[in-house]
Amino acid sequence: MKLRIKVDSDLCIGAASCVTVAPETFQLNEENKAVVLDHSQEPNGRTYERWIEVNEDEKENIFLAAQSCPTLAVFIFDENGVQLFPEI
Amino acid sequence: MHYVIIGGGIAGTTAAEELRRLDPSSEITIISEEQHPIYSRVLLPHYIKGKIPRERVFLKKENWYSEQNIDWMAGVLAVHLDTKNKFVTLSNGREIEYDKLLIATGGEPRTLFENSHNVSYLRSLGDADNFLELLNSRDNNCNGEIFGSGFIACEYLNLFAHFNIPTRVSFRGEHFWSRILDREPSEFVNQHLEKSGITLRKNVLFSDSFVEEELKYKSSIFGIGIGIETDFSWLKESGIEIKSGIRANEFLETNIPDVYTAGDVAEFFDVIVNRHLKMGNWMSAMAQGRVVAQNMFGNKTVFELVSSYATNILGLEVIFIGDVSKEVSDEVRLFGSIKEGGITQLVGRKGQLVGAILLNRNTDRARITEEICNKSGLSVDIFAKI
Repeated sequence: MKLRIKVDSDLCIGAASCVTVAPETFQLNEENKAVVLDHSQEPNGRTYERWIEVNEDEKENIFLAAQSCPTLAVFIFDENGVQLFPEI
Repeated sequence: MHYVIIGGGIAGTTAAEELRRLDPSSEITIISEEQHPIYSRVLLPHYIKGKIPRERVFLKKENWYSEQNIDWMAGVLAVHLDTKNKFVTLSNGREIEYDKLLIATGGEPRTLFENSHNVSYLRSLGDADNFLELLNSRDNNCNGEIFGSGFIACEYLNLFAHFNIPTRVSFRGEHFWSRILDREPSEFVNQHLEKSGITLRKNVLFSDSFVEEELKYKSSIFGIGIGIETDFSWLKESGIEIKSGIRANEFLETNIPDVYTAGDVAEFFDVIVNRHLKMGNWMSAMAQGRVVAQNMFGNKTVFELVSSYATNILGLEVIFIGDVSKEVSDEVRLFGSIKEGGITQLVGRKGQLVGAILLNRNTDRARITEEICNKSGLSVDIFAKI
């Protein structure tokens, strides 16, 4: 399945919880903000938002990473654009 | 099986969530002093600045507890613990029996100016609401007076700056984080604050006469960030070993069977840096919540994490990684300088790299975290690698 992962760089404070939980999906940039990776790769450069193809285990881990963020700066959307996390 | 968790913060709530996942049929009780469902303390400055609405600070909705079949007892305190007969007495007079107990009570801010209306703390949602009320009722001559020189003081610096309030900060030593920073990095912080227009008042003794004098400045808002403290009096007869926090081993077990601890209140054995320490940050509290749940369930799991805490003080990026205490270190090395606009302070003990403080050197973070995790030596090689 495909997910769209987005980091709100204005909310992100560089706590690095997401990086600790899911280092293959999140990494900090030079501004100490989390950027989104695609299985540890950065096709088309550094970005706060990208579509990635994930299996169930990877999806669960990305949710865990998003839940661990103290500022809820990680947003997850499904293929239809529905926001899965944080719950609205 | 009845799991009782004292403390409804991030460590306690994460543990409850993990226990429910591991053990769907167990009984789980959270005893929380707060009236609110769990919220993020880290989001409070965002809420005060108006970046997010108040409802966005909550991490769980009120019905989450019942959906998870968790008995959430809000607005009550544990007042006594009987570890022999395995029950907790609450402030409402109830007694709760447990099979496994987690103490994750966190801490309370140290107070100054007990009865003054224009005093602010920044620990709870109530504190944030109070600060907003003070801001909304301030007059044109309002000044920001900050007491303390740690992370909460940094939050106040940013908040007063955001609202264009002239600010002075008073603290006990010569500089911020006086027990942690070496001379040049501490001077770097002071210079940055002064360049940002902050008045520094150093070597202040927070005595009664000082308090009396300060209270004359009616138009000021006082932001207090002089550390946290924990009330252990309710554990006096429990037999639980307490030093600066509740002592625990690497499995977050206390010396009393079936009693565990996690979060800000825990003084746990850190297997990476090889000593007991307290780690009062979000990342550590959440990770401990997960690990302690595994251990309470019976899956023996060592808590192993190089945690970090990051903040930005008026444009200066500050990151603490691992065990940064200078008092128990025997070696400090600096990389970079004030002139270069960034300094990394490495902290070593018995030849091992155990912690670091990064000032405007964010890009060192991942590498240093990895080196601490790998228990690398604090040698010249470290500098070459960074």
